[in-house]
This record gives sequence, C-alpha cells and structure tokens, in this order.
Amino acid sequence: MFVTKKSLSRRTVLRCAGVALGLPMLDSMAPAFQALGKTSAAPLRRFGAVFIALGERPGYWTPKTEGDNFGFSPILKPLEPYRKSLTVVSELCDPVDGHAVTVAAWLSGSVPKRTVAEDVHAGTTIDQMLAKQIGQDTVFPSLELATEDFTGYIGGCDPAYACAYMNTLSWKTPTEPLPMEINPRIVFERLFGRPGTAEQRVARMRTDASILDSLQDEVSGLESGLGPKDKDRLNDYLENIREIEQRIQRAEKQSALAVRVPGAPIGIPESFEEHVALQFDLLALAFEADLTRVFTFMMTRDVSQRVYPNIGITEPHHSMSHHGGDPAKIANLVKLNTYHVELFGKFLKKLSETPDGDGSLLDHSMILYGSGMSESNSHSRLDIPTLLCGGTAAMKGNRHIKMPKDTPLANLMLSIGQSFGVEIDKFGISTGKVDL
Amino acid sequence: MPLWTRYAPVDNETLKIHTIVLVGNLRVNDQIGLWRSTHKYEKLPYTAPMPIGFDARFLPALFTLGLLCEAGRAQNPPPDFAPLLNRYCVTCHNDKLETGDLSLENRDPARPASAPDIWEKVIRKLRVGMMPPQGAPQPDAASRAALVSWLQADLDRAAARKPNPGRWPVHRLNRTEYANAIRDVLALEVDSTSLLPPDDSAFGFDNNADALGVSPVLLERYISAAGTIAALAVGDPHTAPGSETFRVRQDASQDVHMEGLPLGTIGGILIKTTLPLDGEYTVNVKFSINNLGAMRGLEFPHTCETTVDGERVHIANFGGDRDFKASLANITTTAQEIEARCSARLQMKAGPRRLTVAFLGESAAQNTMRLQPFIRSSEDTFDSLGHPHLDRVEITGPFNPAGPGDTPSRRQIFICHPAGDADEQACARKILSRLIWRAYRGKGDQKDLDRLTALYAEGRSHGTFETGIEVALERMLVSSRFVFRIERDPPDAAPGAIVPVSGLDLASRLSFFLWSTIPDEELLQVASQGNLHEPGVLDRQVRRMLADRKSDALIDNFAGQWLYLRNLRTQIPNSVEFPDFDDNLRQAFQQETELFFASVIHEDRGVLDLMNGDYTFVNERLARHYGIPGIYGSEFRRITVTEEARKGLLGKGAILMVTSHTDRTSPVVRGKWILDNLLGTPPPPMPANVPPLDESNQKDGRVLTMRERMEAHRANPYCATCHKIMDPIGFAMENFDAIGSWRTKEGGTGGAPIDASGQLLAGPNINGPVDLRHALLKNPEIFVGTMTEKLIAYALGRGLDASDMPAVRSIVRQAGRDDYRFSSLVFGIVHSTPFQMRIKTNEEGTLPAARTASSRH
Repeated sequence: MFVTKKSLSRRTVLRCAGVALGLPMLDSMAPAFQALGKTSAAPLRRFGAVFIALGERPGYWTPKTEGDNFGFSPILKPLEPYRKSLTVVSELCDPVDGHAVTVAAWLSGSVPKRTVAEDVHAGTTIDQMLAKQIGQDTVFPSLELATEDFTGYIGGCDPAYACAYMNTLSWKTPTEPLPMEINPRIVFERLFGRPGTAEQRVARMRTDASILDSLQDEVSGLESGLGPKDKDRLNDYLENIREIEQRIQRAEKQSALAVRVPGAPIGIPESFEEHVALQFDLLALAFEADLTRVFTFMMTRDVSQRVYPNIGITEPHHSMSHHGGDPAKIANLVKLNTYHVELFGKFLKKLSETPDGDGSLLDHSMILYGSGMSESNSHSRLDIPTLLCGGTAAMKGNRHIKMPKDTPLANLMLSIGQSFGVEIDKFGISTGKVDL
Repeated sequence: MPLWTRYAPVDNETLKIHTIVLVGNLRVNDQIGLWRSTHKYEKLPYTAPMPIGFDARFLPALFTLGLLCEAGRAQNPPPDFAPLLNRYCVTCHNDKLETGDLSLENRDPARPASAPDIWEKVIRKLRVGMMPPQGAPQPDAASRAALVSWLQADLDRAAARKPNPGRWPVHRLNRTEYANAIRDVLALEVDSTSLLPPDDSAFGFDNNADALGVSPVLLERYISAAGTIAALAVGDPHTAPGSETFRVRQDASQDVHMEGLPLGTIGGILIKTTLPLDGEYTVNVKFSINNLGAMRGLEFPHTCETTVDGERVHIANFGGDRDFKASLANITTTAQEIEARCSARLQMKAGPRRLTVAFLGESAAQNTMRLQPFIRSSEDTFDSLGHPHLDRVEITGPFNPAGPGDTPSRRQIFICHPAGDADEQACARKILSRLIWRAYRGKGDQKDLDRLTALYAEGRSHGTFETGIEVALERMLVSSRFVFRIERDPPDAAPGAIVPVSGLDLASRLSFFLWSTIPDEELLQVASQGNLHEPGVLDRQVRRMLADRKSDALIDNFAGQWLYLRNLRTQIPNSVEFPDFDDNLRQAFQQETELFFASVIHEDRGVLDLMNGDYTFVNERLARHYGIPGIYGSEFRRITVTEEARKGLLGKGAILMVTSHTDRTSPVVRGKWILDNLLGTPPPPMPANVPPLDESNQKDGRVLTMRERMEAHRANPYCATCHKIMDPIGFAMENFDAIGSWRTKEGGTGGAPIDASGQLLAGPNINGPVDLRHALLKNPEIFVGTMTEKLIAYALGRGLDASDMPAVRSIVRQAGRDDYRFSSLVFGIVHSTPFQMRIKTNEEGTLPAARTASSRH
C-alpha cells in the first residue's frame, strides 16, 4: 500500500542528496538546511527537555532576586545572553528522594512503582504527551538521546528500583520506557539514513514499507496458543510496526524539504564535550529540518561515574556529589554545574541563531533544563533546579518565579502541556499550575 | 573438606534424604572441635579450647551452616518452631511493625509450603546469620539450624509433590544473542552495539525476558540493522562507500608490544572488520595530539606499518631532524602531513579482514634521554616526546568496487546458483528454506517461506536474483520468529497443566543458555527427530556444547555480568591517584579473570576453585602489577599462585577494581558485592530520605583513615543495621587498593597502617582477605547455591521465584556429590523442572505461585 502512495517529488528532491563521509562536525552543514514553516506567525511548536544528573549546588543555582530582570547566579551566568528567553522556577519538588525515582518522576510527575521486575510503572511523560499533540506530522514524533553507556554499570542501578527507571527520561505509557540513544552515528542514520544515493534511499524506503506489510501479516497471525502476557508483548510489536509504517508515510510526504545530507559523525567521541556537542547539533538539525518537534536528552546519567579531567575534575561525579560538606568538593561541583550549563548555552546559541518563521528556532521552542534533585549529598527532592528557555509565545521570559514551598514539579509539567494546547487539567500528582 | 559437609546419597525424586541433621549442643561442639582440628589458619578465632556447655548463641553463623547441609528428613509430626519465632523474630516482624515488609505473626512454621515466598525469605536470612540482627537476642545455633533444615525440607517435599516450573515468558533476543545468531546463520561477524540500542537488564542479566521490551525505536533499528546486514552478507554491488572508525583508548600505553599485533612492533591497534566488496579502501591513520596540539615523538625517527591478514601492505618513516624542525615551524600541518604518509589507499578483498597499524620497535638505546616516571606512557598529556601514539584508524570504502568477491557469508547463503531464469524461483526457495531452518530454529513453516519468497520476488523485480535474496534476507531478520523466542503451549493442555517443552524449544533453551545463540545443525537435527528429551541424548549434547568454544559465551555474558567484569571497560581509575594504570592493565585484568573462569568451564573443575584456585594467568604487565618476577611478553600464561591472598576471584585485579571507586577503595561496595554475588543475601536497599552524614575526612587537623570515616558512618543507628553487615566484609579486603595492588598502608608510605580486621556477619572475627576467603567457604553450599541461583536465572532468562528454590537446592545437593564440578551445575539446571517443563497459564496470565522475586531484594 505504501508503494502506491509513493511520492515522485520525493525522488526528485532526494536526487540532490549527496554522500559525505567521515566528517565529524555537523555545524558546517547546517546552512544547507532550510527551516520549515516560514509562516508569519509561527506559534510555540517544539519542546525539548535536557536532564542533568545529581542536582545543582543549592545556593549557587537559584537567582538571588525574584521576578523580572532577576540577578544571575554563578551557575546560570553562562546563560545571561539569553536572559530574555529565560524563566527560572524555584521551589518545585519531586514526590520522593532517591536516584531512580527522581529520574523517573522528572517528566512523568508521578511516583514510580518500587520494583526491580517487569512490572515497572511510572507515568506517561510530558514529552510523549506533546509528541502526540505536536509530533504526529513529523517523521519522528520524538527523539530520545543520552550520553552515557549504562551497560557498563552492572549493579549500578538504584537498589529496589528497576534499571529502566534510571536509563530513560521518556515513558510512552506508564509501562513503556523508551530507550535513549547515545551514539551520534546511530542518531544520524536514523535521521538521514544509511549512506547511499538518492535512488537507493527511495528504494530502501519502499522496501521497508513492503517488509513492514509482510511483518504485520506475520505477527497478527501469531497470537493463537499464547499466554496473555506473551500476547501483550507481540501486540506491542504489532503496534510498533504500525507506528513505523506511519513514520515512513510521513517521511514520504515530507517532500517540501530540501535535504542535503550532512557528514555522518564517526561514532561516540571519547571526549564528553565533543559528544554532547554532537548530540546537541543533531537535535538542532532535527528541529531545523522539522524531522522532529520533541526531544529528551539525558546529558548525564544519574549515579554518573564520569570524571572531567579537561576542567580539572578527577573525582567521579557521583562520589563527589556526596561531598559531606567538603569545601573542595563543593567548589568542584559548582564548577561542574557551571560547565554543564555552558554546554547547554551553546545549544541555545545555535537555536537562537537559526531563523524560523518570524523569529528563531529558540523563539518557537520551549526547552526545559534541570535535574531531579537539588542537594545531592542527601538526594534532596526539595527546590529542584528547573529552568525554561524560549517559547516566547507562552512565556514572558526574563523572570525568576518563586513558587510556594513544596510545589509539585508536576504542576510545571501541567502548565507546559497546556501551553502546547494539550487538553489536561491534571498531570501526575499535580495540585495546580505554574503561571508562566 | 570437613566431615560434616559430606553428603549421603540423595534420591532427588522422592527426597528420601539421609542427612546429618544435628540437634543438640553436644554435636554442635563436636563439629566445632572438628573444624578447629582440620583448620590450618592460626589467625582465626576460636583457637581456645571450647568450654563444655558453650553457649551456641555465639557460634559463628556461617560456621553453623554446615549443619544445615541437607534438606531434613520428613518429620512427623512437624517440630514446633512457633515459640522460637515468637521469641526471636515476631518482635519486629509482626503485623503492626512489618519490619522489612515482613510479618511472621500468625504464620505457621509447621506448614511453610502454604507461603513459600515468606519462608524462602526466612531461610535466606537465617542461613548466613543475617537475622536476627547483630545485637539482638539470638537463638542457639542448633535450633536455628533445625528450623532452616525443616523449612527447606518441607518446601522441597511440597515442590516434589507438585512441581512448578514457573513462568517462561517470550524472550526477545538481546543484542549479543542477535549478533551471535547472525554469525551462525550468515557466517558474518557484526558489531551489534553499533546496530542496536543497548538492552536493559534485570536481576543482574541483560537476557532477562521481562526487561527485553519492544519499542518503535527498537523496531526501526531492527529494520535498519537488517538492511545493513543483508547488504553486507550478500555483497550488494551498490553498497555506497562507508566509513568505520577504530579507536585506541587514550589511556593505553603504546611503548610496548600489544597482544595480537605483529612481533617486533609496539603500540598500535588490531582491527577485525568485514569489508562489503572487493575494491579500494582508504586506511587513514590519526595520531594522538598532546594538549599543546603537537604530535608526540618527532625528535627521533620512527616507522609506521600497516598489515592486512598478516602481510605488510604499507610502511612509512617519520620523525627525526627534518620532521622535528618542521613541527617547530607548524605543528598542525606537520602532523597532518605525517598522518598522510602513514595512511594508504589499498586494494582489499571482501569478507572478514584483520588489519594492524603499529610502529616498528626500536632499539632501547634510541630513547636514552628519556626518564619516564610512570608505566602508563600516555599519562602526561602535555608530553611531546617519547613514542608516537596512535589515536584512531578510519577505514573508508569501497571505491571502484570490483564485485562481491568470495566471502564466507556468500558461500553459506548461495548454496545454489540459478543457471537461467527458469531455475531462479526454485533456487531462491532452496536458499531461503535453508536460512529459515537455522534462523527460525526449526520452527518456520510453509507460510514463512511464502512470505520470504514474496519479498524475494519484489527485490528481483527491481534488481537481480541476488537483490531478491538480499531483500528476503532483510525481511527474515526482522521476523518475529527470528527476533523472539516464542514457545507455545499444547492446545489441548488445560490451564495450570505442566507439560514438557517441545524438543525444538528445548534445543533453543540449551543453545541460548550455553552459547547465547541459536542451535547448530546437529542440535536442530536431534531435536527435530524428537530424541532430545532422552537423558543419554540430552547429556551427550550438553557435553558437546560445553566442549565447543561457543560456550565461551558463558564467560562473556554470564561471568561478565555476575562478577561485574563488564564494568571494567567504563571504569577509569583516577590518573592522579593511579598514574601507572593504563588500558593495558585493564585488558590484562579482564583477560586474567576470563581465562580463570574459562579454565573452570573447560577443565570441568569444581566451582570452589573460583574462590580458592591456586593458579592464574598473567602477562608481563599484570605480573609486574602483582609483583611476580620473571614474566615477559604480552601473551598470557598459566602460573601457580603462591600468595595466599591472591588465590581465587577475591585476589583478582578485575574484581578488586570493579568493586572500588575510581579514586579509592570502598569497603561498602566490596561488602555489598560479596553479599550479593557470593552469599546470595543482598543487603536491603538504602532507606529513602536518609539524613546527610558528616563525611568530612578530617578531624583535629588529621586525615581520617577509611575505617575511621566508616566508623562514623556506622555510629548513626539509621545506617548501622546494614553497614555493620557490609563494611567489615569490605574492610577485610582493604590491603588491596582500588586497582588491586597490595598495600600495607593507606594513602602511601606515610599513611596509616591498614587494619583489615572485622567480624563476618554474626560470625567469626576475620583479619585480611585470606581469613575472609576461608570464612566464606566454610560452608561451600552458600557460595555454590548463590552461583547456581545466578546461573539458573541466566539460563531461564528471568528472576527467580520462591517456587524455584527447591530446584536450586536440589542442584546444589547433586553437584556436591560431584565435587561441585561446573558441568554438574549445568546438568542440574538442564534437568531441572523450570528448564524442562512449562506451565500453561490461564486467561489472566496468572500462575499458581505468586512472584516474589521483586520483593526479595
């Protein structure tokens, strides 16, 4: 059926696709893209969430003053150029303390079930709600990226909580965690396909559609003689098949985009900074080319053992985060928090410099940056660091909003959802809204 | 071995067990006396004569375990343990307090089979002496032993009466299994980590069916991986040039010979890759650049060499006066020019290729001016002198392709070649049926073949015969029959019925357990002929499979996860604390422990050798680290271990490193690792909302020792309950630093002496790793039982339930009669009810016995 829907214009468009190999950096390629939707009044229509593990130093993160024109704190200083787009929200809190739970609660606004077995249960995360709302016309309803390879952390999950809680930010349903991709090369191939000529890409897309058709036929005939749980698993597979079919249809429709395929990154760089930069570049490209409108990015994973020798930090982040009041460790934490914010700032720079309709990509995106805890020494769930950037249509910006103590983070998620027009009046354990 | 750990013959089926069940203080004291007289370690406690009437409450718990060695004889009427429970347990574990989410109030110990999940928990805690907690009143050892013995026996009897194989959920192949299956079906080595997303794990293993979910991203990746693999296997002539990069780790020392590289070379990299087509490929070499942007080692002449399949294909000189001066003028362009000199464009054949890029070794005399302070040659990131270091090699191609060539995968796929158009369909079906047979593990049917043939036809319509096969292959690799292991219940079985698995399903269970891959031709043949269930046939297959090198999958996947060896690769010891540590040592750690584990499998040794084996495997780098003289070269050899402390797993650098932080040891992590993985008694998770500790490492201007800091930790009653258990185990290993070097002082020569003394659970005082090892093995059943639990969870691909524990105990008992040989554990598992049988679920998907695994931890 997809063969008949094959758009010829796609073939024409893709004919100009070239092959570029082994070029690690993507920046130079960016001008080759044309931003979509140059409508005169582009509304808020992209969402991203960037997660940082193990909190931000209390006292160094929160701006000193409240309200408009707030005074910048040491950690946030690198974001000062984007002051106008920035909204810092204080006093939001997670439902419970702990590593795994605060990660799973972050975007779900709910309390994850305590289990290490298959019966994981969190909540549908805000990014997935938004993917349903604004992501259905793009090739990828959402992208989920990370930087840390968790397969080298056996025994490194939170006791009593399944690893899934810590390995992803994004839950498609309360029981379906979405895997996060750490390899920029693979992200690249998902976005732009394997190397090949335009004709090869078109042919591949057509073959994929036939394969999915045939697979759907096979899997739907499999259910007899299976137990209910096994049936569920195969039904999930069937659902996935349908979703990918739709994705291919969307890719075929997306013929207005003049894509010049940029050089593929070569894999996972050893340097964290380069790795983060590549993932951010790919996300910015995906926004720009309108391949997706929703992403989540786990910039660092909870219980991270990463060291940062390039900025003089040789103690692993997690062990340093339990600083026990040691001033040297605290100073290093502030340095590290600030460094992460700097890297995030480079992403904002890219978004703000990319034109999109009547403004920049940043103007039409809402980017959330934060962590699941504040004081890492005690895994504190109170007053967790949270900021929003961009989204000029939905947020005044240049503000530090101080909420009443113990306001659930879920309240902010509710407000974010509503900003994008999702019709909900409650999200997870929310008790109200945050007036952005 | 002490007398009391020997076993009388056990008839497993009927559980007519003749055992040494010890009741009464007299026998207990006898046993202690016996232990003392057979034990050679003077340092251990209890060397004083034991007074008559010794209060057995002080009997070290682990030491009493020998008393619990067997499931007790059926006792009629059951002994009355209620007073014991009421006195020692129900004080905390009652309906009101529910301490540890457990209440024993109103639980009838005379009928444990009525609540197996509760009583298995009790057994687990009691047998290692973890409960009642230290400081609380303790029952005497004999009563404790009798209770455990009774509970186990009654639960085992109930299981024998009503066998329960537990769940067997649909498994998705994890990415290791996927890559292995590709290797076996298509004779093609692929790196699945670059093709598929990582799998979650549960209960310590990434082959856990419950954790292997599906998602759109995953399916998308399966499709894209299938395309890549099919093109590579067939040798798609339209394959566009692609690029692959191979890195040398930054912490590798490159001033020595690397294992696997040509003799006479130093540094460099060995690359195993599969090339898609005959044609030209560029092999681009990039060097490490120091923090100032300069390439290292240009002050002396060097030679870089590239080989393909053992033959030198490129060689170039660099360094010396001319390059050095050029570098002074422009460091960047000089480095680039030298990289170009070492790079090459080569004609290479399709298929698996072995490339090396390395530097030719030079006379030591050339580097006389150099004083290198550390073993790690790349430690100083500002250094521009010494040896050049390779950073990465990029292979790009094919250019000017000259056809698919003759590759192992093409030979495996194209078992016929159509002579003309008329033959094509028949040949395609022949090829595809053959592939389906292996890939679908004997379970494909006519419809499956028709589906692949339809895709073949579609491919053929816009390409050649081979295009058709490629498309069909791509389709096959995303099939649910390939990607999932689906077992079906017989349609006529009633819900709750327990039925043997089919021969083909058993074949897959075996091959995924022992090989992490699909069955081979012989196993499939035997299974499809319906003979596999016959004990002689089954045992012959298991022996054959264990002897096959594919059983090394047990090392990579079982041991790699059980012992946390997989964590080595991501652990980066702090280079300030450990400037000598390099990747060469990391690799050596890994290889040592893998070879050690392999020796137990392949020589079919008793698994207790894992704990106290007096041999190991070292190369020069590792021997130097361990302080063993006279070992030269990069290859590994077997040596006898004379140092008591280095014997067994607990003396291996790999284990000591993965149980440490990157900058220091952690008695907590080591203690927890032992409790989790050797004693099968994980400490409870850290409670939520723990108040922060004052962890300052200084007091009165003096740096506190690790022990002093931990003592402060344990002074907090909130933390003490668990840390009193974990920490002392870790303290006993404090003589090993965070990278497994032996030390007698903490924090260098001027530091405080290491105090490695402590108490093991409620048991004996121990001092140092040798005491610890002996204490852990006092009752070998605990260690073997834990290993069996891990191995069977891995074999079943799910977490264990209370209903599985009788099977575990039975396997351990049987293995005990065969000196706990590795194969006896494997045979025990293969013949166990959970492995051989399946239970038909009812419509709600529930089973007779509730899951308890999630609440156990």
